[in-house]
Amino acid sequence: MNASRAFAVTKRVLRDLKNDRRQLALIFIAPLLVISIFGVAFTGSVKDVRVVVVNGDTGVGNSSLSDKIISNFDTSVLNVAYANSESDAVGQVQNGSASAAIVFPSHFTQSVVARASGQTSVAPANTTITLLADKSNPNVSDPIIATVNTAVAQTIQGLGRQAPASVDSSNAVYGANAQFIDFFAPGIICIAVWQLTTLLTLISFVGERTSGTLFRLLASPLKESELVVGYAVAFGIIGIAQSAVLLSAAVILFHVTIVGDVLLAFGVIALLAIVSEGLGIMLSSFARREAQAIQFLPIVVLPAFLLSGVFWPIQAIPEWLRPVSYVLPTTYAVEAVRSVILRGWGLDKIYPDVIALLIFAGVFLVLATILLRRRE
Amino acid sequence: MKDDVCIRNLEKDFNGFKAVNNLSLRVKHGEIYGLLGPNGAGKTTAIRILCGLLRPSSGEAYVLGTKVPDPGVAQNIGYMPQELALYRNLTVHENLAFYGEVFGLSKRQIETREQALLKLVDLETSKNLLVDELSGGMQHRISLACTLLHEPQVLFLDEPTVGVDPDLRASFWRYFEELRDAGITMLITTHYMDEARHCDRIGFMRGGRLIAEGSARELLELTHTDSLEGAFLVYSRTEGLQ
Ligand SMILES: Nc1ncnc2c1ncn2[C@@H]1O[C@H](COP(=O)(O)OP(=O)(O)O)[C@@H](O)[C@H]1O
Ligand SMILES: [Mg+2]
Repeated sequence: MNASRAFAVTKRVLRDLKNDRRQLALIFIAPLLVISIFGVAFTGSVKDVRVVVVNGDTGVGNSSLSDKIISNFDTSVLNVAYANSESDAVGQVQNGSASAAIVFPSHFTQSVVARASGQTSVAPANTTITLLADKSNPNVSDPIIATVNTAVAQTIQGLGRQAPASVDSSNAVYGANAQFIDFFAPGIICIAVWQLTTLLTLISFVGERTSGTLFRLLASPLKESELVVGYAVAFGIIGIAQSAVLLSAAVILFHVTIVGDVLLAFGVIALLAIVSEGLGIMLSSFARREAQAIQFLPIVVLPAFLLSGVFWPIQAIPEWLRPVSYVLPTTYAVEAVRSVILRGWGLDKIYPDVIALLIFAGVFLVLATILLRRRE
Repeated sequence: MKDDVCIRNLEKDFNGFKAVNNLSLRVKHGEIYGLLGPNGAGKTTAIRILCGLLRPSSGEAYVLGTKVPDPGVAQNIGYMPQELALYRNLTVHENLAFYGEVFGLSKRQIETREQALLKLVDLETSKNLLVDELSGGMQHRISLACTLLHEPQVLFLDEPTVGVDPDLRASFWRYFEELRDAGITMLITTHYMDEARHCDRIGFMRGGRLIAEGSARELLELTHTDSLEGAFLVYSRTEGLQ
């Protein structure tokens, strides 16, 4: 291994990039676009959902518990309309003009008061609010259900009654002010680096093969291992630059909070970029043209995107698919980068992930070298 | 084993197809050897074996006395692939500097040799242009310069003049003769038969085999033709009869 020859390769790759606007755009602008789209799409919480209330509650005297509950609805989430019959309300949900029907039974206040004062003969149906939601989109129905539940709890508390047990979740171990984007931003950054590094290496290497430059290099004193390492260093640097841009965008545009050591996160991402580079070189030996190389991309991107814990944790992935998650290098990178950024973990805690990535990098670089060394 | 290049009973089999078939030839020190033949004759395959890019199926090949493939000879050979083998997004200078560094040249060495070579191929003013911006002929000249930068002792030039205009071709051959006079050994392939008169010796290749060998004059006299193209056709026909 001759460091100056490997470094010549590194310089060559970086210069190539510097001179090629199309590649530069691919490296920096494309992921920025992706993180912005995800950021905008996912930070907006559910707002202004139309629900139809059917309030048959006659109240007791001039006080009505149902009116109190309705007045406690979070009006930024729910846009409340009224209907006279349950069938009318459900009809509106069915035709899509509303997302849920909320039905109060006719003797609601009276029954709740009676139940509260110890009467056991009250029929449960008379104290139950029926919520008929379009649950086909849980992202909409879950907030409706949560809002109604909260309003009920608030109303009961307002009456001076305490629930027999309660949960206080206002303090957090990690991620005190975290939004969903705080959770997935580290993952998106890892996936962007993974995908683009693999793609760029693939394209560069298929180019080296088709343009004949690889022949010239293989007939020169440059060793295959030096070529692989030279590329690895270049893409490690590019990966760090990419993640710096992406992380800045996440902080500036979406107020993602960074708790831990950014440099440690960059180190992990650089390691991931090296793994991707090895993969790209390996794949390039199975492609004769650039167009063939692009066909590998879905295989590289989709599993990583879905199964490495970017949007939902590995624990939420069906057990039979989990082995796939564990052979994806991105799983370890996403986990480590997220723990550093969101939880402030140090190397002492993320080292298992780092070791996994080091093993991937070692194996992939060796395999890439072996494939290059192969002579027909 | 005095000769700089020596091939003995070389065969290269691609899944049952013999691209090179029982090829034997020698290139003496300081000689220009022209390997001539139509497309598909096996010229590129033979050169790739000599440069260590392919493994022979049988037979052997020696370069500077070393049996190839062997990483040890790389420093002393210059290979100009049939493809231009340049980085299109890099400038002329960046290409030359990269190949220079790969061959372990110092910055100083790269600079002085770059200057001399660019002058030679008449591209001094294009030093900082992207290869992509150059014409095909200019790219060929840069490709040749990249091959010569580390001052190799043996040159393997695979169709160096294909797609090059006649003026430039003539100056390429003048330059090859100068290199030969300086003691450089060259194996050059071409399918332009007539420019091979500049070679000291010529081998006709067809279907992976060497069908005739000799100096241009010998080949013309033996076949009673007045062009190498005609000579090739004669050998090609008689080989077909055998
Ligand atoms: N890697 C390969 N796999 C299969 N066939 C090949 C390969 N390389 C060359 N060939 C075949 O070998 C023959 C000789 O090719 P080549 O050496 O490139 O000829 P030339 O350079 O004289 O035009 C051609 O028929 C070509 O199709
Ligand atoms: Mg050829």
